[in-house]
Amino acid sequence: MLPLLPGIIPFGLIAGFTPVSFGYTWLDSWMGSLLMFAGASQLAAYQLMNEDASIWVILLTVAAINLRYVLYSASIAPHLADANRTTRLLAGYGLTDQIYAVCHRDYPIHNWNLNERIAYYTGGTLLLWGLWQACTVVGAFVGQVIPVFWSLEFMIPLTFLALALNTLKTRAHRVAAITGAIVSFAGLNLPYNLGLILGGLAGILAGVLFRRVNQ
Amino acid sequence: MTQEFIIIVALAGLVTLALKSAFIEGQHYFTLPKWFVDALEFVPPAVLCALIIPGIFKGEVGLIAAFGAVTIDPKPIAAAVAALAFFMTKKTIPTLTAGMASLYLVYWLQI
Repeated sequence: MLPLLPGIIPFGLIAGFTPVSFGYTWLDSWMGSLLMFAGASQLAAYQLMNEDASIWVILLTVAAINLRYVLYSASIAPHLADANRTTRLLAGYGLTDQIYAVCHRDYPIHNWNLNERIAYYTGGTLLLWGLWQACTVVGAFVGQVIPVFWSLEFMIPLTFLALALNTLKTRAHRVAAITGAIVSFAGLNLPYNLGLILGGLAGILAGVLFRRVNQ
Repeated sequence: MTQEFIIIVALAGLVTLALKSAFIEGQHYFTLPKWFVDALEFVPPAVLCALIIPGIFKGEVGLIAAFGAVTIDPKPIAAAVAALAFFMTKKTIPTLTAGMASLYLVYWLQI
């Protein structure tokens, strides 16, 4: 877990200060970290709220960005099946890319009982959670003193750009990405940020179809 | 903090929790259809790329709010430089640095 922690510091700071650059207070900024605890979707939610997107578009985008957690959840679930409901809900709230990665790697190779598995999950998650909350709050306070002309809000699309380019593993992924971008661009002036939703759907469809045709 | 803000962030939190807990809670009740699992891997590239577009082609950066408009929008050029930096380094921090630096540069060259 420890080697994964430094990587979230800049992202946590960005998640903290970009909402502030839109005019939100540090508390507003921290609310996203507390209630969602999912960086990319936090950034997307604040960007869309700033663009006055409708609540449905915001929730749909948040859901789309967080869909990967369904897969993580499915992979972790059997190991936590016998935990009580409170533990399972807390584990769900605390699920992250990082804890998924270490549990997915370590659960199958160790012969841990339920309590040991929960302890492993809780320890890693608490570390990550604490660091993430601290980074967003620090980022938000720093953001309040940084002048507007630094244009730090532009780091949201840049962060997404880096995240997106990192997912282009196969040609099918590149087809999904390019289609998503083109459709979103064509729909830039549609109301309620519909271009974004249509772009996402078209991109997913294009990726699936491309893979099917080329297999 | 307006009431609308609290409602949106709280609902976004609930949606996130629902997705994260989907299987930890629901494993005894349902399984995922295969087409859904197959489609999931294309969600990040498609949605993230769709999400970048308005951030690059719409709205004004703080520079323009502070110092006035320029002829050529610096955002698309800065994003292209950032993408180039990513392909060269495969790292996030150099990508962000290159993007922000070229945003300032392209703006500054026009005033």
